[in-house]
Amino acid sequence: MPDYDAIVVGAGNAGSAAAITMASKGLNVLLVDRADPPGAKNLSGGVLWGNDLSQILPKWQSEAPLERFIDNKKIGFLTEKSSITIDFKTKYFDENKVGHTVLRAKFDPWMAKKAKEAGALVIPGITVDSLAIKDRTVIGVQESGDTITANMVLLAEGVNPRLSIEAGLRKPLQDRELSVGVKEIIKLSPQKIEDRFNLSEGSGMASEYILGNLGELNIGAFFYTNKDSISLGIVSPMEELRKNGVTHTYDLIEMFKEHPSIAPLIEGGTVAEYGAHLIPEGGIESVPQLYGNGYMILGDAAGFAFSNGLVLQGMNYAILSGIMAGETAVRAKSMNDYSAKSLSEYEKKLNNTYVLKDLKTFKDIRKVTGNPKMYTVYPQLLEGILLETLWERGQPKKKVRDILSEAAGKMNMSKVKTLTDFYNIYRRM
Amino acid sequence: MLKMAVMIKQVPDSQDITIDPVTKTLNRSQARNVVNPPDLNALEAALLLKDKHGGEITVITMGPPMADVALLECMGRGADKGILVTDRFFAGADTWPTSFTLASTADYLGGFDIIFCGEETTDSSTGHVGPGIAEFLGYQQATYANKVEYEEPYFIVERDIEGATETLKIGKPAVVTITLNANVTRRPTLKKKIEAYKKGVTLVTNKELNLDPNCIGLKGSPTIVKDMKTVADPVKTPVKPSIEELDKVVSVLVEKGVVK
Ligand SMILES: Cc1cc2nc3c(=O)[nH]c(=O)nc-3n(C[C@H](O)[C@H](O)[C@H](O)COP(=O)(O)OP(=O)(O)OC[C@H]3O[C@@H](n4cnc5c(N)ncnc54)[C@H](O)[C@@H]3O)c2cc1C
Ligand SMILES: Cc1cc2nc3c(=O)[nH]c(=O)nc-3n(C[C@H](O)[C@H](O)[C@H](O)COP(=O)(O)OP(=O)(O)OC[C@H]3O[C@@H](n4cnc5c(N)ncnc54)[C@H](O)[C@@H]3O)c2cc1C
Repeated sequence: MPDYDAIVVGAGNAGSAAAITMASKGLNVLLVDRADPPGAKNLSGGVLWGNDLSQILPKWQSEAPLERFIDNKKIGFLTEKSSITIDFKTKYFDENKVGHTVLRAKFDPWMAKKAKEAGALVIPGITVDSLAIKDRTVIGVQESGDTITANMVLLAEGVNPRLSIEAGLRKPLQDRELSVGVKEIIKLSPQKIEDRFNLSEGSGMASEYILGNLGELNIGAFFYTNKDSISLGIVSPMEELRKNGVTHTYDLIEMFKEHPSIAPLIEGGTVAEYGAHLIPEGGIESVPQLYGNGYMILGDAAGFAFSNGLVLQGMNYAILSGIMAGETAVRAKSMNDYSAKSLSEYEKKLNNTYVLKDLKTFKDIRKVTGNPKMYTVYPQLLEGILLETLWERGQPKKKVRDILSEAAGKMNMSKVKTLTDFYNIYRRM
Repeated sequence: MLKMAVMIKQVPDSQDITIDPVTKTLNRSQARNVVNPPDLNALEAALLLKDKHGGEITVITMGPPMADVALLECMGRGADKGILVTDRFFAGADTWPTSFTLASTADYLGGFDIIFCGEETTDSSTGHVGPGIAEFLGYQQATYANKVEYEEPYFIVERDIEGATETLKIGKPAVVTITLNANVTRRPTLKKKIEAYKKGVTLVTNKELNLDPNCIGLKGSPTIVKDMKTVADPVKTPVKPSIEELDKVVSVLVEKGVVK
């Protein structure tokens, strides 16, 4: 008999959610993570949309180490001298409190602790070497020459899924399937945060920007408030950075921090942490075969993350895929069938949720987020319109139509082309 | 078969400690806890003896309940048992009651052929505790050791004495403190860690040890911290040298052979 019903590799959001789901239904679960405490080295920008957590941890809103609930969301463009944002504040956010900033170094160990409380054996500080495979079935994991066996292995190893790749369960990742995120945590007193962002105790702000101040580079940025710190950073496709020969991503984050509308917000703060991490952004095309004899692939390892320039999400996808894989495992155990056929239930379940639905709906989103005009022409165009309409310089006023065609002319863009471009963005968003 | 103990202390990871720019005090709140680094070398020294001669290794720590993970980490590397010495009466101890309590624990556990300690800790670095334990127990002692061999009934200990190595032959029972990087430590394995987490650690409180409350914890600590001074950063005045001055600097450097 195998040592465990299930071994989960990786105690990120996906792995812990799966372990909780299975252990609370009585399965004998081993959850292994390379960090100690488990998950302590994980990194996110930091907005967790936690709706799904209620399924497995109904009291998460009062028990989890959350920073601030999102009460104000901003999206916009930055140009060299301007910032153009939509500032969305709504009672809907207040009343539901499901979007929260989190610091993964605290949140992930908490989730792993919940897995332990549910009955899983949680082992931190161990990197699993490889999968144990026999007769084309995953039968366990290997570490330091020992084999630990299980009926099922749940691979929740994150964006760089070495075990899955080495076992041939998924293809190695290409540059075009990845983005690079660089992040800093800047310490600032709660008082300053609440004053500067017009927040009350516990409420927070999350903003995302398209950076139009870095020339041709396709770069987005985020800026989130925590209890006593700011999480900020930039995200850029790997291909883009390679193409432009950018090696010093910290120069880019500095340029974001020095922007005239950002610098005053972090003035007086000190950088407490710095990190970089990959993000799977290959969309539906880079999702691998999700299950097979004795295994399932979850979260980032399966390419479940979503970004469209306005939001960047992955934690919620990780959690929901963890729950779905966990439920599938519980069912497999009840039927004592761990074959690919039995575990195919996992994909069926995902097809009925936003995890796979979103990836399918937005299969062309990269054509929008990768459209160079989003980072060059459009921010400037918008800035131009606003300068003409909102800045009184003692000149005769112009109609928007004329401003637009003048600006477009200056930028060498035909009207037809611009209209087609807008239509394509509209169609894909 | 050798009966061995390794004393370990949980300390904040020095990589994670920052200095608060305003108060100038150490900020440990962000720091993860790790096993005091030379204590892992002490454990390795014990494991090497066990590999060769067989035996049983007990890791012991005095600390708060959450220090159990430090013991489990050592068990994952091959120690057989973990003892967590914990009691609110033990809190606030300086090196005297720390040594006394740990020595009493060793005694309570029936004594050992050899007790390993680290040379010193990264968070207080007094280096008192190892010798303190030896004195309380009346064991032989050797400090700052790089290597320990066993030739029944003696331990052959190589000591690092700045620029030279001294080799000692000491009898049982003994306390030996091990230097940082004395050996290459082995990593914990999944299999051993699973066993460790399943087995758990054994708690020892003052109910078991029954030590005089005046000799333990804060009450038993003769040290009083009277004052703490923080040293201000030296004032740095930036200079803007002229081209001529820079030339002078360069020619001096060339003269001295620093640059070519
Ligand atoms: C800069 C940045 C900003 C982001 N912002 C957001 C955001 O605001 N909101 C949001 O929802 N998402 C965000 N994301 C995405 C989100 O972080 C991920 O999608 C999410 O963490 C995926 O969870 P996971 O459990 O699949 O993987 P991870 O959280 O990466 O966990 C994988 C775990 O596996 C462990 N592991 C890996 N290999 C092994 C092994 N061989 N043995 C043992 N353990 C192993 C690792 O230690 C790790 O704990 C952001 C990501 C980045 C990089
Ligand atoms: C800011 C600060 C100031 C302090 N000032 C003083 C002071 O002035 N005088 C004083 O006496 N104490 C002082 N202490 C407390 C004290 O030094 C220690 O925390 C404790 O007594 C152990 O001493 P050490 O860390 O120097 O250990 P060391 O003597 O350096 O440790 C040597 C070895 O002993 C073993 N060991 C040490 N502690 C333990 C333990 N708890 N459990 C198991 N094994 C252990 C380990 O193997 C370790 O490698 C201070 C503590 C702090 C944080």
